[in-house]
Amino acid sequence: MAGAAVLERLTVPRAPVVWRLARVREISHAATSAVTIVFDLDDWPGHRAGQHVDVRLTAEDGYQAQRSYSIASAPEDPTLAITVERIDDGEVSPYLTEVLDVGDEIELRGPIGGHFTWRVSDGGPLLLVAGGSGLVPLMSMLRHRAAQASDVDARLLLSARAVGDVFYRDELAGLDGVRVDITLTRSQPPGWGGLARRVDAEMLRELGPAPETNPRVYVCGPTSFVENAADLLVALGHEPHTIRAERFGPTGS
Amino acid sequence: MDLWLDGNGVAGMLTEALGEDVTDTERRCPSCGDTWALGAYRAYRGAGVVLRCPGCESPGLRVVEVREGFSVAWGAGPAR
Repeated sequence: MAGAAVLERLTVPRAPVVWRLARVREISHAATSAVTIVFDLDDWPGHRAGQHVDVRLTAEDGYQAQRSYSIASAPEDPTLAITVERIDDGEVSPYLTEVLDVGDEIELRGPIGGHFTWRVSDGGPLLLVAGGSGLVPLMSMLRHRAAQASDVDARLLLSARAVGDVFYRDELAGLDGVRVDITLTRSQPPGWGGLARRVDAEMLRELGPAPETNPRVYVCGPTSFVENAADLLVALGHEPHTIRAERFGPTGS
Repeated sequence: MDLWLDGNGVAGMLTEALGEDVTDTERRCPSCGDTWALGAYRAYRGAGVVLRCPGCESPGLRVVEVREGFSVAWGAGPAR
């Protein structure tokens, strides 16, 4: 076996996967080109903050398209919410952001993924780094923290192109006991007093917490954003295995 | 730039193929000896999905959808 790539191969039958019909209860704007869709679901098993769902659309001719979307709502919420950013040449997001209406039903399955999750009982300090729509699963964590009235040290760095691309802007401003740093990389509104450059080492050092405090680190965003942020965090002294990352490809499609 | 995701991002397909969520399952890479959760593996999509060790890029798991279900292959040795 030494020296050769050996792959044990087997064919397994498809495991039964539960697709559920989810009825749209409410749609609201989360940012200029993003909407939050709230669903009513029967028999939802509950989720952990950070997990996602797969959404499946079926055309009249039977063609199916499937995408993953992070859950935005807290586990404590009675309804399930996702936030979807419109990708102009996307196959699924234009439908979800512009065609879907209250009362419609779509298919989804989940919750999916047990690795990129955080519970209050996991403790902190909590360091969250988001690029654009990568904020969504991290927001679920912050909403979970708030719902549990937790005082875990929590800090968020959000990088967005412009102020209109900042998801949940009002809610971020009102988070209790969470340090929120926002950097706007492409354009800033008049009077913007916040950060205005790509995420760099100084930004992360200033935000903290120090690696010595063993923070739980979650980074989510486009692949290049996550690569950059994770490399910077490792260079600052964070142990690579403590950094949990979720990448969603080049543009977040 | 390579277009890769994490094991997390393809967890739905992995669950379908393996019958359970494996993203939090730790795997020791036979090539480099490093241990990572499968959710932290690099996921490359092509005809199916290949998960590569974040430490050394050796293929750790290959899942391809086939007519009867899924073809699942675990990497058991060093990368070519």
